[in-house]
Amino acid sequence: MLLDLHTHSIASDDSRASVEQYVRWVGVLRKKGHCIDGFVLTEHRQFNHDVDYSTLSEANEILILKGSELDTDCGHFLVYGVTKEITEQIDFSNVNMHAEDLVEICDQMGAIAIPAHPGRSGIGFAEYLAGGRKGFDTIEIVEGLNGSNRPGEGEKAQDLIKSKGYKSIGGSDAHIVSAIGTCMTRFTEDVKDESDLVNKLREGLFRPVRLEESKEQ
Amino acid sequence: MSKKNIYFEDVELGDDIGPVTRTVKSDQVFEFVSLREPDPNPSRFTSEEAAKKEGLPNAIVPGAMNIALMSQILTDWSPTVCLKKIDVVFRGMVPHEKSLVFSGIVTDKDESGDSTDLECDIVMENQEGVRLVIGHAEFALPSRP
Repeated sequence: MLLDLHTHSIASDDSRASVEQYVRWVGVLRKKGHCIDGFVLTEHRQFNHDVDYSTLSEANEILILKGSELDTDCGHFLVYGVTKEITEQIDFSNVNMHAEDLVEICDQMGAIAIPAHPGRSGIGFAEYLAGGRKGFDTIEIVEGLNGSNRPGEGEKAQDLIKSKGYKSIGGSDAHIVSAIGTCMTRFTEDVKDESDLVNKLREGLFRPVRLEESKEQ
Repeated sequence: MSKKNIYFEDVELGDDIGPVTRTVKSDQVFEFVSLREPDPNPSRFTSEEAAKKEGLPNAIVPGAMNIALMSQILTDWSPTVCLKKIDVVFRGMVPHEKSLVFSGIVTDKDESGDSTDLECDIVMENQEGVRLVIGHAEFALPSRP
């Protein structure tokens, strides 16, 4: 199963793509022979419990899940498995939240926090670790493949993955329609919902892929 | 880039617009800034020295001019294009005197028969492939006569 684990819709202030447009574009990709089974909306600094994409999802046979991308004092983190208990405990709008607290709360409450684009300057995990930041013993996964990486950022992420032995996910970091699916994560088993996504990530049976590799299936 | 008339029926979802490579000259930026302020004071847009004082590596292209440049990817595509809306996000500084690559891709087409509206993504990248400006545009093409 192929999922794009990092996308932004117009709910994020810097995106220009609606969820409906992403769904139509997935249809275009499928017509071209690409396999893409779904995507996770990881809006910046927010999580909307009320929005429901199940009708759109079922009508188009596309799994649409919700997560978040949060700003921390150690770079951006993708959070999957967000619950009401988590949003009550964490201020998602806090642009300088303590990263270790975020990771710990997620670990305790059935979610998972994963450093996004770790090789990026200023907002990437690798830079903070290189600067002497300690801890993060429970982190096992980072976003090793990001569709919006600038030159050198992917290499920096791979260096981090090799040095720490992390597993790697992939996401497009799409902010415009045609960017969705450019990078994805291939799971060996189907993912059913947000909670199941956390389980499948913790099981570790996945790998990052680029869109070009999605024609293999 | 094509200058021929393009009609609604000619365009498919996923069609590419461009790419077009162009360089924004410093005197073009000066001319653009002068439209609003004749004989403008040195600024980050018109003076490398002023830009460096603000911590920028070089003088940069103004945002409004970038929007105009992004619009041209469509209006230069075909004389039949009627640009209705453009909405961009600035993700990086746009330098003078460097090659910039402009491209678009058609992402939506009204197949209902009620209109000849289309939508597209538009992107401006530097030579290293870094996306400096991204956006979305709505436009119309006439039906084939």
